[in-house]
Amino acid sequence: MDRRPVPEAKNRLATFNDERSSIVDDVTNRVVGGRLRLAEGSPDASLEYVLNEVAFAEIQRLQKSGGRENKKRLARWHDLAHSLGQMSEFDKRKELESIVRYHAQDIAGNFNPRVFRFATDVLPPALSFLLNPISGFREGVKALGAMAEQIRIEGPIDQIHRCCKRGTLVVTPTHSSNLDSIVLGFALNRVGLPPVTYGAGKNLFTNPFMSYFMENLGAYRVDRRMQFGLYKEVLKEYSTVLLERGYHSLFFPGGTRARSNKVEDKLKLGLLGTTVSAMANRSQAAGEDVPRIYIVPVTINYRLVLEAETLIADYLEETGRSRYIIEDDEFSRLGRIIEFARKTLAHEGAAVLRFGAPLDAFGNPVDAEGESLDNRGHVIDPRGYLRDASGAVVRDAQRDSVYTRVLGRKLSAAYRRDTVLMGTHIVARACLDVAHKRTGIGDILRLMRLSESALAVPVEDLVSAVGQLREAIINQPENGVLDVALKTLTSQEIVDQTLHYMSTYHAKRVLYQSGSHIRVGSMKLLYYYRNRCAHVRFNLDGKSEDAP
Amino acid sequence: MKSHSYDTDRVGILGAGPFGVALGSMLAKGGRPVTIWSTTASVVNSINREHTFDRLPGLKLPEGLVAVTDLAELVAKARFLVLAVSSESACDRLQTLGAVADTSHIAVHAIGALAPERDRRISQLIAEETPILRTGVVAGPSMAADIAAGRTTSLVCASEFDEVTSESRRLLSVPSKMRLYRSRDVIGAELASALSGAYTIAIGLADGLDVGIGIRAVLVTRAISEMTCLGTALGGDAKTFSGLAGLGNLLVRSSVENDRISPSYQQGLDLVKGQATSKGEGPRAARAGLRLGRSLGLSLPILETVVRVLAGEVSASEAAALIFETVTEEE
Repeated sequence: MDRRPVPEAKNRLATFNDERSSIVDDVTNRVVGGRLRLAEGSPDASLEYVLNEVAFAEIQRLQKSGGRENKKRLARWHDLAHSLGQMSEFDKRKELESIVRYHAQDIAGNFNPRVFRFATDVLPPALSFLLNPISGFREGVKALGAMAEQIRIEGPIDQIHRCCKRGTLVVTPTHSSNLDSIVLGFALNRVGLPPVTYGAGKNLFTNPFMSYFMENLGAYRVDRRMQFGLYKEVLKEYSTVLLERGYHSLFFPGGTRARSNKVEDKLKLGLLGTTVSAMANRSQAAGEDVPRIYIVPVTINYRLVLEAETLIADYLEETGRSRYIIEDDEFSRLGRIIEFARKTLAHEGAAVLRFGAPLDAFGNPVDAEGESLDNRGHVIDPRGYLRDASGAVVRDAQRDSVYTRVLGRKLSAAYRRDTVLMGTHIVARACLDVAHKRTGIGDILRLMRLSESALAVPVEDLVSAVGQLREAIINQPENGVLDVALKTLTSQEIVDQTLHYMSTYHAKRVLYQSGSHIRVGSMKLLYYYRNRCAHVRFNLDGKSEDAP
Repeated sequence: MKSHSYDTDRVGILGAGPFGVALGSMLAKGGRPVTIWSTTASVVNSINREHTFDRLPGLKLPEGLVAVTDLAELVAKARFLVLAVSSESACDRLQTLGAVADTSHIAVHAIGALAPERDRRISQLIAEETPILRTGVVAGPSMAADIAAGRTTSLVCASEFDEVTSESRRLLSVPSKMRLYRSRDVIGAELASALSGAYTIAIGLADGLDVGIGIRAVLVTRAISEMTCLGTALGGDAKTFSGLAGLGNLLVRSSVENDRISPSYQQGLDLVKGQATSKGEGPRAARAGLRLGRSLGLSLPILETVVRVLAGEVSASEAAALIFETVTEEE
């Protein structure tokens, strides 16, 4: 895969600073204008109601947090709540505008184009260093060449390049680790695609190692503590304006890192919906010659995941009520990141980024030239979906929310189809299936309570199960692809190699061999890696093909 | 990829069967421009020249109802399309539509059955065979004969898109003749409409055996309960099955008025006489419903018995006993 030059004109981030204030103005005017129109139409949408909701949400949040600065803020919101009844409509409007502008500016962050250029130049070598145990200059140069083997990139890159020339890309990866955005940024750079702007949790900017890259690689800040509707509206409008202006963007539709490691199927559609909004706005403004917006699904597949222990513990403890923001995981410790990188990512094929076929904003596939296609492969004009009975392109929030759901369903299917199933996933699923068959216990929490010896699995049973599961994966292309690194290996070799990897990074060995049996060192981690291929229809000895 | 300039008030009906023609006639009499498509030239000629339709004898068709054989002509004129063909021909007709429709069209269907291929709902078929995304279903106790006779009747239009239900209500409502309700439960409305045909067979069978109105009422309520169980497991909303598309459809299909009998109800009566065929939309819906239910591990005693009696595995009286044995065990 050759490195391609990025057309400078397409790299909008390099000129972001020139547009920053006009973007913030646009966002502010649109959100305030929209709220004023709503307020005219319904008493329930009055400015007093909107401002009161913001004040209430902020008071609730700040009352739970300490600190002198927060006390000052709390007093400010109390004052607003108390004075709302006496404020004139003009004052309410000024207050609304001030809140919206504040958040739009906060989201936009302090992007520095000079640092950006430095960061884009320094990132590949920095990652290369991170991923390799280098002891000298020669080895460093050699390591640069080996990067292609450590992080493998697959998919229709040529088609994505053509779409990029024709319109704006919205890269939508699966989300397993906070390393995702860095690894993806590296991958985009390597295949010659322009950098993307993306919303990252504001908590990540407190990590000194990461904030440098995030702030300067196009990340805008998403403050998940803000629970009021107005903030979400500002955020969505910010994304819409960026897309309209041609900023290639990145969303994680899973919302947050997949705690269970299952392939994401419940997607958060809020930001994804801004693609349809941007498409409608562009079509209204540009008429027939509108630049397209393309959704590019990506699966980021790690053999081992940096934060696996924290994520699965969180999933199992709260099952369904995960902490949304984890601030004290492995990612917050620089030493742990380097350890992870050197012990796991240094291995060939440790991570695979698989780009899926691009879709239009309505979930339709596109041809090699970026034209939208219907299910039968006929070229269609996607702007027709935005026209009303009179033929005019119109915004319709309810209609567009359905389109976004359709897109979400197509993305979920793409994630399953393009998930790369690696040795750790396959061996973990096979091992748990064998354990389930031998003990008759399917519930993971009950399995965890069994002794190591009760869970021991004969090596030959595991090898046989791995062979059967591999066949099942090959026969279900809709549920993923077998890691190419496994294609030439025997089942025994896959088990041996995976046992080695499973003992390299995590504090506890996930699985290990003891005589003629495989023993489980960490049932939680085994479950975590197994979950990546939980959706594959498979039952041992081919009795049925149900997913557990 | 040209953009059309439609007559925004025009309704395009695909399929000149009794329902399509009756609906078109009612709308045109109400002043709405209607174009109806048929592949049969003689039907088109009869509608355009003689203003008659031989499957609805005695009905004088209005001049505002225009028939065409060229589907491209219809989709160029009308943005709002009603698919009113038989379920057997739906796939073929939709392939024809897919070649001429564009992304700005809206399509609702009035097919009270599942597609014969892979038990798919018709809205799924529309999505597969055409570029149209804004789709919906109209369903309910509106028989072609009632519409043709100008009786007041109602349908529910279900769509995920509010724009589709709004357009359906605007274009298909006729004061004092046709009232449309709205719903977002497409899956429920399609399944309720299709499955009511299957359960109508069971009621026809019970009536053929003259079981009495008490047991008949038990059967109707159990049928709705079973249909709801299956429909919700497949993603529908429970209340849809006791609404117009479910209970409404079941009641009208299993009623006899002025010698008008629905095909599914007639099949139930014929089963008692040993004369029934296993063809048609009711039997197909019964088999499809049972397949879908079994794939979900559901117990569906009424559907199972209907399928067994249609297959000749049990007699009508044995079937009735089987149904009522289960019915009396569960509530």
